[in-house]
Amino acid sequence: MTNVDGSIREPYSILDQWLKQQPAEAMGVMAADAEAIFRRLGITFAVYGSNEGTEKLIPFDIIPRIISAVEWRRLSKAIEQRVRALNAFLHDIYHRQEILRAGRIPEKLILDNSAFCPEMMGLDPARGVYSHIIGVDIVRVGPDDWYVLEDNLRTPSGVSYMLEDREAMLQLAPDLFQRLKVAPVDSYPENLRRTLDSVAPPGASGAPTLAVLTPGIYNSAYFEHSFLADQMGAELCEGQDLFVENGKVFMRTTMGPRRVDVIYRRIDDDYLDPLTFKPDSMLGVPGLFDAYRAGNVTLVNAPGTGIADDKAVYTYVPEIIEFYLGEKPLLKNVPTYNCTRADERAYVLEHIAELVVKEVHGSGGYGMLVGPTSTKEMHDIFREKILARPDNYIVQPTLALSTCPTYVESGVAPRHVDLRPYVLVGDQIRITPGGLTRVALKQGSLVVNSSQGGGTKDTWVLED
Amino acid sequence: MQLTLRHTLRLSLGTPARAVAHVLLTPPSTPQQQVERWSIDMPGIAEAASFRDGFGNRAQLVSLVKPAGELLVVAEGRVKTIDKAGVLGRLQYDPVPALFRRATALTGPDAALLDGLADGPDRIALFHELMGRICERTAGQSQDTAGQSQSQGGDATAADRTHAFLGAARALGAPARYVTGYLLDDGGTAAVHAWAEAWDESLGWIGFDPTLNLCPAESHVRLAAGLDAMSCPPLRTVPVWLDGPAETVEITAG
Amino acid sequence: MLGRTAQNLFWLSRYVERAENMARLLEVGYRMSLTSRREGGASEHLVSMLQAAEADEAFNAKHKQADVVSVSQFMLFDETNPSSVRSCLLAARTNARSVRTALTTDMWESLNSAWLEFAALDPREVTGSRLVELLRWVRTVSYRYRGALLSTFLRDDGYAFSQIGNFVERADNTARILDMKYYVLLPRTDLIGGDVDIQQWTLILRAASAHRSYRHVYHDRYKAWNIADYLILRPEMPRSLLFSYSWINRTLDMLEEIYGGKGRGHAAAAEVNTMLDGNSMDRIFAYGLHEFLTEFIARNNQVTEALAESYNFY
Repeated sequence: MTNVDGSIREPYSILDQWLKQQPAEAMGVMAADAEAIFRRLGITFAVYGSNEGTEKLIPFDIIPRIISAVEWRRLSKAIEQRVRALNAFLHDIYHRQEILRAGRIPEKLILDNSAFCPEMMGLDPARGVYSHIIGVDIVRVGPDDWYVLEDNLRTPSGVSYMLEDREAMLQLAPDLFQRLKVAPVDSYPENLRRTLDSVAPPGASGAPTLAVLTPGIYNSAYFEHSFLADQMGAELCEGQDLFVENGKVFMRTTMGPRRVDVIYRRIDDDYLDPLTFKPDSMLGVPGLFDAYRAGNVTLVNAPGTGIADDKAVYTYVPEIIEFYLGEKPLLKNVPTYNCTRADERAYVLEHIAELVVKEVHGSGGYGMLVGPTSTKEMHDIFREKILARPDNYIVQPTLALSTCPTYVESGVAPRHVDLRPYVLVGDQIRITPGGLTRVALKQGSLVVNSSQGGGTKDTWVLED
Repeated sequence: MQLTLRHTLRLSLGTPARAVAHVLLTPPSTPQQQVERWSIDMPGIAEAASFRDGFGNRAQLVSLVKPAGELLVVAEGRVKTIDKAGVLGRLQYDPVPALFRRATALTGPDAALLDGLADGPDRIALFHELMGRICERTAGQSQDTAGQSQSQGGDATAADRTHAFLGAARALGAPARYVTGYLLDDGGTAAVHAWAEAWDESLGWIGFDPTLNLCPAESHVRLAAGLDAMSCPPLRTVPVWLDGPAETVEITAG
Repeated sequence: MLGRTAQNLFWLSRYVERAENMARLLEVGYRMSLTSRREGGASEHLVSMLQAAEADEAFNAKHKQADVVSVSQFMLFDETNPSSVRSCLLAARTNARSVRTALTTDMWESLNSAWLEFAALDPREVTGSRLVELLRWVRTVSYRYRGALLSTFLRDDGYAFSQIGNFVERADNTARILDMKYYVLLPRTDLIGGDVDIQQWTLILRAASAHRSYRHVYHDRYKAWNIADYLILRPEMPRSLLFSYSWINRTLDMLEEIYGGKGRGHAAAAEVNTMLDGNSMDRIFAYGLHEFLTEFIARNNQVTEALAESYNFY
């Protein structure tokens, strides 16, 4: 929130005044109110590894994160560039593979990757879009100095928190909204619906029938699945609610079968269809992928999009942008060490205490090491892990993530944050102003994942 | 050679409310074979969705409502095979050849088979050498042509030999793919069969049959291709079959 | 609407109603056991209550002795008893979660907060007055849910499935309570019931929350004939079989209008109707009360099956 010289960055000055006007106890009351709002709505997430049915509330911080209009315009342009390039990359990888022939990315990295889906070869998805719903994780390390941590192109979650955080803020601090002109986010469900409508298969007549496909109530993001279905007016389906007949997908309704045109699926590729993928999947719909290949239904996102957000492919995204768009990347990648190269590995092993180590296929902050905040024992454990399987880890320098004022037990204090803006790709690219700000609530921590003690904040993009 | 074929599969799916079948039983017309007529007969085939899969094969998705008892699938037709010394060339719907360098669980390379071999300018010689080595290694074993399954310690099946070929070719950097089809052998008997196709930049795809140690000519009828046996079986169902499939193939020449 | 959604709404209402009925039964059993002066009487009341809840076999498999503690723990908290209040509230809430989008916020919140409160209880602390307090609380959970449903739920097919589930469960429960004690309701030559009979009748009426309203309707002391009439044929008694079916039929008419036609459920419900409509206690007793109730329970179950078939429950 502050500049290098300690002065308050311009977008924060009104917030700063407002914070100073709040009586000390008012903040505590507000925090308690916020928790009550979320609990009542049932916005919970399941924690992996804990007892089935255990539901927790993601901590919500009552102080919003603020981004200026100028800053946002630059950022959204940069995100749009990235998303266009990654969709072009997916199209190429599943058709002529020009980028591999040109030798810009090692062929083995793509073809032997478990996230590459050979069954997708030659398929032409509606409007050529593979990844329709994207959440790009970015961090700011200095004024206008943004880095991308991860491109989430499979089934990014968290957008319901973005929307509910705003609802909560409107209830908690209405006066602040009168002082600042904040760009609204509540058009997201409508835009999601438009995006899905725009990629309906050609055979669909009239308004396409949409379904959200969920693994069910025990999934950690079930709340979000039901929330989005509700907000879009789509049917929330489990695999058992759908079936394939004569190459078309139907849902079982009280009035008999009803044709489904577009499926926003929140089930992983492997579990989508036991006829094509994992044969023992109980979550999916037998024949779904073939119906998709036959052009009778659109899957959102397409299977096989994971190849573009694979952590090893991540390092090539600048190349990808240049190759397909002929443009210089507007967003930076975090420099990444490749442990399969002897020189880089040697550097990593020596400097592990300064670095961040991530599993190539890990997510949610599990199985990662943040060197500066870890013990010597942990450093040694990860040194051994890297030596045993160098291809399983990527290593990055520890970034000086920006901080935001956050309400914690001791009062208002700076905490590290990242940002996940949500992008929709269909007939056009739509980016919701702001996104989900995740905050590491522990002092000094850089891990913002909800499963690791992170919380969320409302994100305000100011209008001119 | 003019061939008349009839492939019958009998299987039982139990008594599910619904079943779906992914069917790869349509031979394409290629430089090596002209399909004069072909039909598949099974319940639900008239309403089936017909499309190309990721490997360029013509596939059908057939749905069965309350299948009970034995399911009978009959594929039959007339195909004229042409001896091209194994050269298939390039097919219209082929994906990029590089795709078939992808290693799969069934096509892991075998170091002994690769001993002393390296990719070089004469790939065709390399493929012949590989085919010869596999054939020699399994000499004396029955040339069991049937079966998609991996053998369990017994004689190598056509699928096993083909997988061995693919694993080695891919390890050497050459695209190679699994092919399913039919074989009319010298004794006039016919069976479901599997062999490999490997990629040469100038000639395109060339067939290699490591079971018979020859390049497919007029006795082979090609159905479908894929990364390995798992990716392109002639028939796949959900639920998976309880019994079967009991298969017969009849081929008459002329 | 998805067939699964319809099914979930139907069963969700059934579970809430069942939780209420279980609490009501346990309250009666507990009360009777306190007032029983005969040797072993307390246990007998509890056992007959377990029978009415169709939970006696499961109970006996786990417990040797039926006393207030073992029975109340079994009926309230036992996870292996599918009809325990815990099982019903959890099933209701699980069903609600999977059809969250089909419910109003008020309906969801009533079930969500009920489950969170119930799950936080320590079963060991639920004795004596705490027990009675908890049983009343369970009833209010059901009232709160129904209140939210009646005042906030869109009158569409989802509402219809909820209502039918509610009244199918209620009719089933009332019929079972009557059947369990049918012999004390049979007409006999001695016109005045003994103390034991009166106690049994009170049990039946209390289990249906009908012991006070009975007086308003009959202006008379408890009589077996009236009690049976009250719980089977009285149109104004909200837990009677006739009342339940008049609701079910009205709701089925609504479904017919929404879907533009009748399903098999309509025929099944019409069959149950012929048992109630225009019938009299004279004829029911002549036919045999036990036979009548057995047939009613079976036909009531067929309504569920027929609905499942016509509206694609699965």
